[in-house]
Amino acid sequence: MVAIEDIRSRAKELLEGGMVRAVLGFRRSSAGLLAEPTFVVASEDVASLVWDATCVHNLALYLVNEKKRQKAERTPDTRPLAIIAKGCDSRAINVLLQENHVAREEVVILGVSCEGGGVVDTRKLADALRGKEAASAVCDDTGKVKVATASGEVTFPAADVLADRCLECTIAYPSVSDTMFGEKVDERGFTARFAAVKSIAAMSEQERSAFWDGHFERCIRCYACRAVCPMCYCDECVVDSTSFIVSPMTTAEEKANRIRWIQRSTTPADNAMYHMVRAMHLAGRCIDCAECERVCPVNIPLRLLNTSLEQEALEMFEYTPGMDPAQPSLISSFRDDDPNDFIR
Amino acid sequence: MSEVLETPVQAKKEAQEFEPKIVAFLCKWCSSAGSDLAGVSRLQYPPNAVPIQVMCSGSVSPLYILSAFNKGADGVLVSGCHPGDCHYLKGNFFARRRIYLVQKLLKFIGLEPDRFRMSWVSAAEGTKYAQVVADFVKDIKALGPQRKLKARN
Ligand code: SF4
Ligand code: SF4
Ligand code: FES
Repeated sequence: MVAIEDIRSRAKELLEGGMVRAVLGFRRSSAGLLAEPTFVVASEDVASLVWDATCVHNLALYLVNEKKRQKAERTPDTRPLAIIAKGCDSRAINVLLQENHVAREEVVILGVSCEGGGVVDTRKLADALRGKEAASAVCDDTGKVKVATASGEVTFPAADVLADRCLECTIAYPSVSDTMFGEKVDERGFTARFAAVKSIAAMSEQERSAFWDGHFERCIRCYACRAVCPMCYCDECVVDSTSFIVSPMTTAEEKANRIRWIQRSTTPADNAMYHMVRAMHLAGRCIDCAECERVCPVNIPLRLLNTSLEQEALEMFEYTPGMDPAQPSLISSFRDDDPNDFIR
Repeated sequence: MSEVLETPVQAKKEAQEFEPKIVAFLCKWCSSAGSDLAGVSRLQYPPNAVPIQVMCSGSVSPLYILSAFNKGADGVLVSGCHPGDCHYLKGNFFARRRIYLVQKLLKFIGLEPDRFRMSWVSAAEGTKYAQVVADFVKDIKALGPQRKLKARN
């Protein structure tokens, strides 16, 4: 078990020594079960940091956003930012390092292993609790999740309440860190990796087609999935013509001539286009934090799209995203013996 | 929706006369020359493929492919030089990996895998190009029009 005091005292050291400008972590939220991301800047506030199964967010997103914010500042504090990172968060940081979006010296990574646990899925938890409200959720060492409610504590098997990604996770510890808390656990004994994707792939073509049509037609193109993704850091986004950068120098003609590859209309076909483009842009970059799926207001199983490509990358190209910032990216590299038999 | 708009007569007509629209991205140095050779050799092959010359198969972004489907293509072909023959040395190796992923992704959402194809056609392979297109047209005719990614307007 990871002791939160250890994390707090390291955070305190870093802040007191002025080695970092802030510690990005989790604190209790004023609304709802999930812990909320927080920037701790004063060393006396480290007591607000928490660590349990409700620390769901991928904090790498805030690293990206903070970078954008800092760029706009006139006299930015250039000290590094400390970030508390689960296994998946650390893989996201690794991808950002690999893409030179963030430099290693800009971050101090306090990696935390999930050991034999993970984070909760609030939808699963709501089902399991049948209307009762959870006040806290903690993984114990035996693969169980203890949930406190107003009428006492309930214990669930991990499979009932943990997020699918955690059940399938094989690297539940940080792949990059300056200080690591907790042990590396390799045998977690939940679900097999890619179980969800495989069940979809096993459907017939018609079933699969109908499955996705049914999901894509509900998408309202709120772009929450894109906004929450630490890998979607582009200022201009090809799927969204309103993000095209316009300056006072941009002429009306230039604006009119911008290629709109994808319309913003929510027709099933344009929605499918959006999701295809997004999945391609995440190929070899998505580290399966499943935040897109969590934030989707209409419950589209977005994680499946990205993990299906993650599975291909692993099985055909032996590529795992976020393990090594020095490796060439999936689609900017090749091997002579890449699959060739699908080509005529 | 589309079923409502189509009268039975129109639908029947479409089924009888369906001529697939194919967008073919051909690299300038091999496949495009191969298709020219098919033409100057007066080979007979179906006219359904609209060629778009690109500098290299490696320059074909997945977005081009998706966009072609979105704008109404029933099938998309990407064709380049044989491995080792790319004018830019490595372009077709990059393309191969990328296109493999696009194909798997489209398959995963239930688009028929036969609608999207890659081929290696050299400048000397006019007959091969004609054959690739003929096969492609035959396969797509069996599938009917592509609707999944096609914008309705
Ligand atoms: S996916 Fe893995 S590393 Fe991420 S929270 Fe779940 S168990 Fe931890
Ligand atoms: S979050 Fe859901 S509804 Fe919003 S754009 Fe993404 S998939 Fe569509
Ligand atoms: S030039 Fe033909 S594939 Fe690169």
